[in-house]
Amino acid sequence: MSESMTSNISPKGRFPFKLKIEPRLKSPSGWFSSMLSFLAVVLALLVGAGIIAAAGGEPWRAYAHIARSSFGSVGVFSDTMVKAIPLMLTGLACTVAFRMRLWNIGAEGQFFLGAWGASLVVLAPILPEETPQWIFIIVMSIVGIAMGAIYGFIPGFLKAKLNVNEIISTLMLNYIAVEWNNYFIYDKWSEGGFQMSKVFPRNAWLPRLADYAKEIPEFRGLTVHFGLVFAIIAAVVVWLILYKSQWGYEIRLIGDNPKAAEYAGIPIARNIILVMSLSGALAGLAGMSEITGVVHRLQGHISPGYGFTAIIIAWLAKLNPFAVLLVSVLFGALILAGREIQPSGVPTMIQGVIMVFLIASDFFMRYRIYFARRKEE
Amino acid sequence: MKKSLLWRGLVVVMVLVFALSACAPKPEAPAAEEAPAAEEAAVEEPAAEEESAAGGMQIPEIVDGKYNVALVMLSVHDDAGWSQAQWEGLKYLEANGDNLHTTYVEAVAEGADSEQVFRALARKGFDVIIGGSFGYMDSMEMVAADFPGQYFIHISGFKANGENFGNLMGAMENMKYMAGMISGARNKLDGETKTGYIATFPIPEETRLGNAFALGLAKTCPECTMDVRWINTWHDPILEREAADSLFDAGANVVYTGADTPATALAAEDRGDVWGITYDWDGSCTADRCLTAPYWNWGPEFLRIVNGLNDESYTPGWDYFDSNEGGVGIFGLMEGQELTPGMLEIKEQAPEDWAMIVDTLAKLTSGEMDRFDVFAGPITDNQGNVVLAEGEMMEHADIDCFSAWGGCEVGMYWWNENVTAELPSLD
Amino acid sequence: MEMVSTMDQENEVRECRNVVCMRGIVKHFPGVLANDHVDFELREGEVHALLGENGAGKSTLMNILAGLYRQDEGLIEVNGKEVKFNSPRDAIAAGIGMVHQHFMLVPSQSVTENILLGLSEPRFRLNLPHYDAVVAQMAEEYGLHVDPRAKIWQLSVGEQQRVELLKMLYRGAEILIMDEPTAVLAPSEIDDLFVTLRAMTQKGKSITFISHKLHEVMAISNRVTVLRKGKVTSSGINIADTSRAGLANLMVGREVVFRVDKNEQEPGDVILSVDNIHAENNKGLKALNGITLNVRAGEIVGLAGVAGNGQRELADVITGLRKASEGQVIIGGEDITNLSPKAGIRKGVSHIPEDRTHVGTAPNLSVTDNVIMKNYTEEPIGKGWMVNDTAATKYARELKKAFDIIVPNVHTSVRLLSGGNLQKVILAREISKKPELLIAMQPTRGLDVGAIEGVQRLLLLQREAGSAVLLVSEELEELLSLSDRIYVIYEGEIMGEVADGDIEKIGLMMTGMQMEDIRLQGEKSNE
Repeated sequence: MSESMTSNISPKGRFPFKLKIEPRLKSPSGWFSSMLSFLAVVLALLVGAGIIAAAGGEPWRAYAHIARSSFGSVGVFSDTMVKAIPLMLTGLACTVAFRMRLWNIGAEGQFFLGAWGASLVVLAPILPEETPQWIFIIVMSIVGIAMGAIYGFIPGFLKAKLNVNEIISTLMLNYIAVEWNNYFIYDKWSEGGFQMSKVFPRNAWLPRLADYAKEIPEFRGLTVHFGLVFAIIAAVVVWLILYKSQWGYEIRLIGDNPKAAEYAGIPIARNIILVMSLSGALAGLAGMSEITGVVHRLQGHISPGYGFTAIIIAWLAKLNPFAVLLVSVLFGALILAGREIQPSGVPTMIQGVIMVFLIASDFFMRYRIYFARRKEE
Repeated sequence: MKKSLLWRGLVVVMVLVFALSACAPKPEAPAAEEAPAAEEAAVEEPAAEEESAAGGMQIPEIVDGKYNVALVMLSVHDDAGWSQAQWEGLKYLEANGDNLHTTYVEAVAEGADSEQVFRALARKGFDVIIGGSFGYMDSMEMVAADFPGQYFIHISGFKANGENFGNLMGAMENMKYMAGMISGARNKLDGETKTGYIATFPIPEETRLGNAFALGLAKTCPECTMDVRWINTWHDPILEREAADSLFDAGANVVYTGADTPATALAAEDRGDVWGITYDWDGSCTADRCLTAPYWNWGPEFLRIVNGLNDESYTPGWDYFDSNEGGVGIFGLMEGQELTPGMLEIKEQAPEDWAMIVDTLAKLTSGEMDRFDVFAGPITDNQGNVVLAEGEMMEHADIDCFSAWGGCEVGMYWWNENVTAELPSLD
Repeated sequence: MEMVSTMDQENEVRECRNVVCMRGIVKHFPGVLANDHVDFELREGEVHALLGENGAGKSTLMNILAGLYRQDEGLIEVNGKEVKFNSPRDAIAAGIGMVHQHFMLVPSQSVTENILLGLSEPRFRLNLPHYDAVVAQMAEEYGLHVDPRAKIWQLSVGEQQRVELLKMLYRGAEILIMDEPTAVLAPSEIDDLFVTLRAMTQKGKSITFISHKLHEVMAISNRVTVLRKGKVTSSGINIADTSRAGLANLMVGREVVFRVDKNEQEPGDVILSVDNIHAENNKGLKALNGITLNVRAGEIVGLAGVAGNGQRELADVITGLRKASEGQVIIGGEDITNLSPKAGIRKGVSHIPEDRTHVGTAPNLSVTDNVIMKNYTEEPIGKGWMVNDTAATKYARELKKAFDIIVPNVHTSVRLLSGGNLQKVILAREISKKPELLIAMQPTRGLDVGAIEGVQRLLLLQREAGSAVLLVSEELEELLSLSDRIYVIYEGEIMGEVADGDIEKIGLMMTGMQMEDIRLQGEKSNE
């Protein structure tokens, strides 16, 4: 309601200035936004340092340790990237949907279905074990993407045709996806009674840098896999779609004002279905790349909540596909290195603090604060 | 205005996300529990403390010139269960080992997520890395292949490479057998016949431990029966509690758990006239209605293996220790422990059963009896088929195998005749 | 809150004998001076109308009185005591309650629950039947008929308004502010409301009534204060001492409505033909009841009528935004009834929507993105599957220049534009397409005089260029000066058609009289 707030920091008009807060009439420039985010992170780290100190730790050593164990060497950076790949792809999935203000919080479920689809190729089996690697990769990608897309299509269709709230439906579908996956690892594809499938044949693994250690010794132990290429290509494609294509224009228009889009003759129902399917497809690709690049078998615990972290990533990246890549790397690092500080509760708390500060910093993007001379009023 | 709508939507979603992540069964480390850790640090050599612990926080780093051991745990170090038992084993190792440095990483999820943790520890140069949960198996196998000079010891699971990746497990069935005997005696005393088992996943380990209990039960109480509930988790206080209540409602007088939390004993405590048996950690059996607890005592095993690796007398492979090594125990009956109220009554009011219990335990800890004696014929399953005829024994392969998939003759895919549940489907 | 009382102001203070005195109220909003030293007095037991055009500052002034905003300067006295409100709660404590245009009710709760919401009593145990009785009695007293046990979502808009009134009365409000209360009401409900308001004044309540509708002000109020562009043009004149025309002058500040020069031209073929259209409004009620009309090339056809008589629904049906349950819409000889808006756009239909921010534009997108809304798929802006940024920017710059859109650059978000500039963006987009048919809904509403002239000239240019224009407006003068013919709509039906600009006939039809009846009456009186 209130468009403007005025607050006084001086008693009874003696001070000739007062603090004014009002909505920005112009969007602040790009550097301002970056500086603000940077400042927010710095402030959050300071608060986090206070928490660590209060818990009896040495904050600066802890931070140095986090930095070292995420970016300290090629090896750990490779680990960070491995962690970041599924976050990038699910983050892009959320970005596409959020751009149209479709709250797809089902990236987690779509991730599982993508992983399941890739497993289907090996375990159904669709392809025999001795199939060449490149055919395996192509077919597994297609099936993984298709499964994710179908899993995005379902809530999209329900939303478009029956106006079912996509937040609820995607949320519930997450549970179904996990149980669907469980059915196969407990029953159909269980190996030796354990809740996991057999290991995929080597041909069905995404190539890792470590696979070329024989030719290039520096690659030894580097587990970063081909999924990174998927993620980068996906980011470019998402950027092209959202910011260069006519379809992307429609997505942005619907996202900003569905009534205006309808008025401009854009079919909203069709776009809801298409965008949810695309979002699901990207999350499915994330599942496929994780299962074939890292896990190499279908099992439980294939995601520590990538699909949920992705929501935060998409949001922090301000729905910019390339920023999603960057934020994913930072998040991968934070998750990876944060775990090395024991007890494990403290780093989780620091992550939370950073998040809160970033969210709060957005206030300054939308309002400006200045000192006004009383006389000028 | 539109913009603010976008924001409101996003905020709603964020709140949902936080709510979801809060709902996830992620064990939190209570701040108050840091005190013991700090005390422990004080016991350590000053140099080690300076290098490895930033005040109250631990950062897993190696200490040069020492033999470095890291433990990776599923839950937090003070979870009052499986992980805490391992963490106390690590403390034992640090206190009793020679020139050792130990550290731990807690709350590491199973599956692919754990690979980076093992890789990071290996890269830092830890000499021995112990993985404390079944789901770390693939990650450890993969990392072990990349770091041939370092050792990886995996607790539970079914893989080893005979070089630097070894498997470690122990004969917990012996202690479950003891728990079964105690429960039988307790039931007779209470004029009851039913017992219950909260089983985790349908894997050989769980039917093995269930059958061991059922066999022990039959020893002291031939007419007693055992019912089963599957919960498909290792750690979930709510599900365990529900399963315990369900078993008590079905008439069980004693319920024991294959999972981590003390929920069974707490459920028994609330009812006041039944008994619970906890698992994993010797400190878990504190409730008055807790009858006993089969528990792990990893310290001596860790010390044996780490010392062996240090002086190269131990080769990682298949290590399955029996109850004569002190790696497993039954709470209340081991040295230096007091009997629980429930057991004290058995001792006082059913001296015959008590003598049998004490005698069997003595045999198991001295090595006179081992896991093969626990599973000695004759054994008949609850379908009337003979599993083992009189005088027949199992082989070690049978201990951790479902014969349905081959790899063993007898295996563990059966329920003893006094079990009133069906076997889980294994299609 | 800040103390405003400087020395000179204190000297200046006149004695306030009325229930409310507001003096020298100044309120800035970013870029706008919403209230410029406004004085306002409310006497006990009167209905005091606050009259003004959209954006004149009426709502701002009353929001200050209700504690929602704080004034930058000026002081408020209630019952002779100076007050400083930090929140609506403070205002209610002082006996001032405001009923907003948008109701603040919880749909899933009952009337009584909504009335009790936020109060400190009852504290813990909710004895609903007791409070139901209290509410029912209070409703009876003021003639606010509503079932205390009904859930809000079950109530009509008029009933919900009564709940808002009851809420304020329950809180002990002696001074009631009604922000455009009739805007959401059906005619019969308006009558009920007026009865209620009179009943309340008889019980000593004082009422401020915000409106921009002259006839309502004349019908209900005792006195009237007129605001124009944030300033008071007439303070507290007795309604008996004024006339509608007089008030209109005070409101709009111009004596003569200018006539636009319009050349004579013969209309061409029928472009739009609407035949017996029936449709429902958003609430599922009958809004159009057999509308038949046509518009030919090169003519402007006006659609006169009091707002809410189906104008918006008719525009929606023609442009494909609303489904017709019966009847046909034919554009350029092609039946496009119930096809998507795209079909209409392809047939060359342009649409200046009534709601600029919620329908006409995407607020967070740039000017460029907003002007290409209807041709982003066409060459040169659409290129294959892509949008050609360079071409789009060039196009936007051209329109910015041609239509004199005042904006730093074409990449600025349109939410930062003023109402007039926003309307120019829409006009630029819709007119630059050289439409076959232009549906213009209230195209000059809320614009300043200069902008109004500009828009009207543009509409005439369309007419000269051979477009068919359907102009929907509440401004009779505007319709008369621009239109070749005028249809009058009343409760979803066309009452008749006027080609000679007979304002008397139009007025009669706007109140629901059929053309036929008027003619018969005329014949009768001639006899």
